[in-house]
Amino acid sequence: MAAYPGMSMGEAHRRITEYLNRFSDAVSNQDAASLRFLLSLSSNSPFLLSLADALNIFQDSGRLIKHSDHYSQYSDILFNLFRSLQTYRLGNLFDSYQAFEKSANAFIQEFRNWESAWALEALYALAYEIRVLAERADRDLASNGKSPEKLKAAGSFLMKVFGVLAGKGPKRVGALYVTCQLFKVYFKLGTVHLCRSVIRSIETARIFDFEEFPKRDKVTYMYYTGRLEVFNENFPAADNKLSYALTHCNPRREANIRMILKYLIPVKLSIGILPKDWLLEKYNLVEYRDVVQALRRGDLRLLRRALQEHEDRFLRSGVFLVLEKLELQVYQRLVKKIYIIQKQKDPTKAHQVKLEVIVKALKWLEMDMDVDEVECIMSILIYKNLVKGYFAHKSKVVVLSKQDPFPKLNGKPVNS
Amino acid sequence: MMNQVGSTETIAPADPNSLENRHIVDASQGQTSYFPPTTGSEAISWAIHRADHSSTQNGILPSSTSTYQYDYQTQQPTRNVQDGLNAASLPSSSSSVGATNVSQDYNGYASYPNSTDPYGYGTTGYPGYYNSYPQQQQQQPNHSSYQQQPNHSSYQQEPNHSSYQQQPNHSSYQQQPNHSSYQQQPNSSYQQQPNSSYQQQHSNPSYSQPVGAYQNTGAPYQPLSSFQNTGSYAGSASYSSTYYNPGDYQTAGGYPSSGYSNQTTTWSDGSYANYTPHQYANYTPDSSTSAYSSGTVTAPSSHYQQQQYKQWADYYSQTEVSCAPGTENMTVASKSNVGCPIPGVSSGYSTSTSQAPPSYTPSWMPESSSSEFSSVQPAAGISSASDAYWQHGAPSSQIHITSPMQPQSQKPLDPKTTYDSFLDQQKAAYSQGHNLQYPATHQVPQSYQSPANQQVPQSYQSPAQIVPSSDTRRVSKLQIPTNPRIASNLTFGLPKTDKDSSTAGAAVKPAYISVSQPKANEKVLSNDAADSMLKPGTFPKSLRGYVERALVRCKGDMQMEACQDFMKEMITKATADGTLYTRDWDTEPLFPLPNVDAVNKDSLQSSTPGSSLPKYKRSPSRRSKSRWEPLPEEKFVDKSASVMSDTMKYGGWINANDKDRKPFFGNNGNKENNMSGMKFSPLDQKNASKNAQRPVKKQRYADGFNVADNCDASSDSDKEQSLTAYYSSAITLANTPEEKKRRENRSKRFEKRQGRTESNQFKPKNAGAGNLYSRRASALVLSKTFEDGAARAVEDIDWDSLTVKGTCQEIEKRYLRLTSAPDPASVRPEEVLEKALDMVHNSQKNYLYKCDQLKSIRQDLTVQRIRNWLTVKVYETHARLALEVGDLFEYNQCQSQLKTLYAEGIEGCHMEFSAYNLLCVILHSNNYRDLLSSMSRLSDEAKKDETVKHALAVRAAVTSENYVMFFRLYKTAPYLSTCLMDLYVEKMRYKAVSCMSRSYRPTIPVSYVAQVLGFITARPRNEGSDEKDSDGLGECVDWLKAHGACLIADNNGEMQLDTKASCASLFVPEPEDAVAHGDANLAVNDFLTRTSL
Repeated sequence: MAAYPGMSMGEAHRRITEYLNRFSDAVSNQDAASLRFLLSLSSNSPFLLSLADALNIFQDSGRLIKHSDHYSQYSDILFNLFRSLQTYRLGNLFDSYQAFEKSANAFIQEFRNWESAWALEALYALAYEIRVLAERADRDLASNGKSPEKLKAAGSFLMKVFGVLAGKGPKRVGALYVTCQLFKVYFKLGTVHLCRSVIRSIETARIFDFEEFPKRDKVTYMYYTGRLEVFNENFPAADNKLSYALTHCNPRREANIRMILKYLIPVKLSIGILPKDWLLEKYNLVEYRDVVQALRRGDLRLLRRALQEHEDRFLRSGVFLVLEKLELQVYQRLVKKIYIIQKQKDPTKAHQVKLEVIVKALKWLEMDMDVDEVECIMSILIYKNLVKGYFAHKSKVVVLSKQDPFPKLNGKPVNS
Repeated sequence: MMNQVGSTETIAPADPNSLENRHIVDASQGQTSYFPPTTGSEAISWAIHRADHSSTQNGILPSSTSTYQYDYQTQQPTRNVQDGLNAASLPSSSSSVGATNVSQDYNGYASYPNSTDPYGYGTTGYPGYYNSYPQQQQQQPNHSSYQQQPNHSSYQQEPNHSSYQQQPNHSSYQQQPNHSSYQQQPNSSYQQQPNSSYQQQHSNPSYSQPVGAYQNTGAPYQPLSSFQNTGSYAGSASYSSTYYNPGDYQTAGGYPSSGYSNQTTTWSDGSYANYTPHQYANYTPDSSTSAYSSGTVTAPSSHYQQQQYKQWADYYSQTEVSCAPGTENMTVASKSNVGCPIPGVSSGYSTSTSQAPPSYTPSWMPESSSSEFSSVQPAAGISSASDAYWQHGAPSSQIHITSPMQPQSQKPLDPKTTYDSFLDQQKAAYSQGHNLQYPATHQVPQSYQSPANQQVPQSYQSPAQIVPSSDTRRVSKLQIPTNPRIASNLTFGLPKTDKDSSTAGAAVKPAYISVSQPKANEKVLSNDAADSMLKPGTFPKSLRGYVERALVRCKGDMQMEACQDFMKEMITKATADGTLYTRDWDTEPLFPLPNVDAVNKDSLQSSTPGSSLPKYKRSPSRRSKSRWEPLPEEKFVDKSASVMSDTMKYGGWINANDKDRKPFFGNNGNKENNMSGMKFSPLDQKNASKNAQRPVKKQRYADGFNVADNCDASSDSDKEQSLTAYYSSAITLANTPEEKKRRENRSKRFEKRQGRTESNQFKPKNAGAGNLYSRRASALVLSKTFEDGAARAVEDIDWDSLTVKGTCQEIEKRYLRLTSAPDPASVRPEEVLEKALDMVHNSQKNYLYKCDQLKSIRQDLTVQRIRNWLTVKVYETHARLALEVGDLFEYNQCQSQLKTLYAEGIEGCHMEFSAYNLLCVILHSNNYRDLLSSMSRLSDEAKKDETVKHALAVRAAVTSENYVMFFRLYKTAPYLSTCLMDLYVEKMRYKAVSCMSRSYRPTIPVSYVAQVLGFITARPRNEGSDEKDSDGLGECVDWLKAHGACLIADNNGEMQLDTKASCASLFVPEPEDAVAHGDANLAVNDFLTRTSL
């Protein structure tokens, strides 16, 4: 009582009863919005927080639930939800998650029986809460030296929810939301291979056009699938999906746009399209600024430095390897610069670039590379069609084609 | 009701057995109807008997063609049969008789239509007979009340058919007197009817259609051969009728042969056996039918005429008389049953018969009075029954109901038969039985449970399973009301029957016992106790099952007695030393049969086969199984295979049953259903009145109980034995391993359910049920935990208790993948494993030997759950060895283990292996995501490690395809990184050459290629020895040539790579050491080396 001054037993009872009434009203009126509110544990709404306090005072809420005809049929939902709230309020996220999952499970059972999809919103809330709670519970677990496993459990629970929604009928609209929550879980867990089955069921379903899903979910879905394509280094597909997400997302949600750009920019870079500086600045993607700069200048040192500097970030977001592959474009740019300089000096011999010149240029960039290495890189540039021409080993000269010696990528990925 | 009640009461006394089953619906109705027939008390009794007989006969006939033959002989009987069929038909759909009745039901069902037609036929055919017999017979069948009633119920549904048959039946009941005439015809008819009835009854549920057909053929049927088929039915129809029929048939089969030949004695046995089987298969109906059939079959011609009342023969004669038999059969059956039971128990068919007759008359008398009722009631009862059935069947629920009714009636008969008191009980049973059977579970459960429990359980159980749910419902609805009244009778009768069954059980029970008996046993036991050794209340179900099993083996009364005596001793002993409840009776090996045992067994089995041979021919093993719990399964299978209609019917039933039924169906579908059905019946009996669903659960529980009981006592081997015994008892014939496996599998399906429900069930111990069996059989000690009631999840298993502490002192041990729990005697403790690791280190033998040794060490570590420095060392050793020889498969296994071991904080060469891991991901998995996660997981400390740095450099070289860098790193690779890179060299070189030949013009010196691609260890301009260079050069030339490069010599005689020409001609040659199976390690020589280790 001391912890909750000002709340009497009667008050606690009143609050609990009010919640119960609101819950049963929401269900009987099929008021998804209210239900959603009542289920949104992590919203920290004053109503729920005070309810949690009330529950901690009035310990026998189970009896209240069971002894009323209105709520008793939802006793599995409510009882566990109360427990979850209680423990959530007390900061015991592990128990809170456990109870919430039970509650959600019971809710799913009910949801399954509801013909219409009216409760989708509430289900969304549930899916969201379960993920968020799981993440927080895992954080707690990890800090206590235990193995964080709740997110995994949330993943399998969400998979179950997906199963409830993925069939035919009006509930299918909700499938994409759950899919997106699953993506979040899987990406967080690093088990993105699990996404495949969900994606397949979304993309192969002929009965439901993808465009019929809510826009919000479509954008999220495209964002995550685009990221998956980045992992696969399938740049054109990644470009498509991420561009879709970018063009359809809410333009005022800058954080979302930033997240999309974080992947779209490397993808665009690797197909030879450079962003404007203002874009990077507007969305605070300065880590890419040096990379872009290096590409413009052919400055290998700058690129390597940028990669090293942001290695952790790039590794975590999964674009490191993509950016690293930009090296070849930087080399191309460097050779092109040399070629342009030579052309200014002596147009007749401009198409012959001596290897030692390149080595010297690299040295100037503090890149300590011997001739063999540079020769290898020139060979690769030619092989990848970033440079047109050939390499004469005997004379150690790169002989450039007289026509378009440095073809642009123009949205096509580098040959591999 | 009054009438019914009266009838039931009267009947009850007369046909206790029949009463129970039939009682509820039929009893009252049937009895009433019967009674009229009884006027020819005999007739009535016959009718009852016939019903029973018919059922038995059906069972038998089906199983054995003999019944059919009988039928043929007594084709007239077919009419009876029809009656029986009607009754039976209901269950099985049976064909003709049942057909009419059944047909309706079936009509409801898909198959019904056929049956209805059959009915039409039957009716028409009967008409002929009916003209004289038909109606009577039909009536008789109806009288068989149970059947008829069922029929009636079906009739109600299908007025036409029913009208003929049923009406006939009813009339016949009244006419039953005609039975005499019937008897003649009846005999045939009975036989057929019995068959049909049995089948029908039995089948009615599932078989109904066939039965209907049969019945139709009946009078017509016989002609139809469908009756013969009935025989076959037993096989198909009865089977199809679902387990029930099959069971009936099978049992019937057994019955027929022995029963018939022995008629009285056999009957008793046979009847018992039949009953049991029937019960199991067809549930009571089947059993009854089978019994009937056997009785009818063999007896019909001779016995019936001769002993008619006294023995099954009497019954048959009665049956003959009867068409009445059908109904009469029921009574008769009950009588016969009674007689049989008595015989079985005591041996005296004659006695039983004698008893039966008396009882019959009385019962009949009641029946006669009741016959009217029956007719009337039947309608009501039937309707109710039908309703219930319909419910079961869903669409055809009514029909089903009727059929169920019939089955029940049959069942009752069986029970009755089994029960000595039988007649009365039967009557009661009948009334109840019908109710029970049909209504099924509820009524049956009540009456049957106790009485039938043993017998009924088996037969009933199956019916109960399917029908029960619906039946129960129906019963609850319509019959139930009556039931209460009857109930007392029924229950009593049932109990008695149970007792009988238990006693008779010896004979009959065996089959029955296994399934439902356990449950029933408890309940029944109390009842039975009086009968034989088992006291229902006081003994575990499993014990009852055990007794039943034991008794089932007994062919003759003598054996039965001997067995009973023996078991009494056993039980007394067990009670004395307190092991009565702890012992796993299910798995308890059966004691050797006294003298006759072999004979008994043979007779039972053979009898079933012989009588049921036709049936068996189709699926002997299955049938044999089907008798028991297995039987249903088999039946299902057979049915499904052979008779889709039957399955369909069942399915229909199931559907109809929906909630309640579903469970059952599920069970049925699983084949376990039989078991479950059996169990259910007990459950139903217990809970029957409650909910249909509950019955299901209960059944499950019951199963579980049984299993649990079994499990409790016995060890694994015992369990297996028990299982086999259990099944064998049920299925004497088919005990093949395959079947067992199937059963186990089936039972496994239910395990979970059972487990869940178990806790709810009466006693946790029982929870296991069939499922438990399977598990236990399969298994680990763990399975025992299941017994606890709530089935435990795998994760609840206490692995600690399973951890092995090795005692083996041998240092060297060959690796063998474990297929069972490890034996501590062959597992080495940690100290020895340490020595073993040293031994491997110092060994001069090849990798295959070392790998084998290391794997065995790893295994021993794993089973002992040793995770420490030694474990890490073993895995590191193995990983290194694997890397040295390029065994990536083993390496990966070790690497993944090392990963978790390191993660647990165990010291080791963490850096080295994370570098290897990195290299492995880069070079061999080519998965960017994995690579990224591996990279991002590297700690700063790790990134400073030389090995890791090198690995990261290699990664950069590979992703940028920088071959120059790669081969420089290759030359400077630390530890075993070289080995990992080795595996990638070929690929890298090829890529490099492709690249060079594309970008260089016009030529490249081979020396340069050799240097860049690592053929020459030192660069030419560096110190490197000339020899090495030349060696490397030569190697490079060979390599280039092997890959299709075009080499030319320039003016100075230096080898040049013609890039333009090579560009198009490069290819990757087949590796020289490639083997067809893809793993050079499996080369024959190595393999021989390995095996010789």
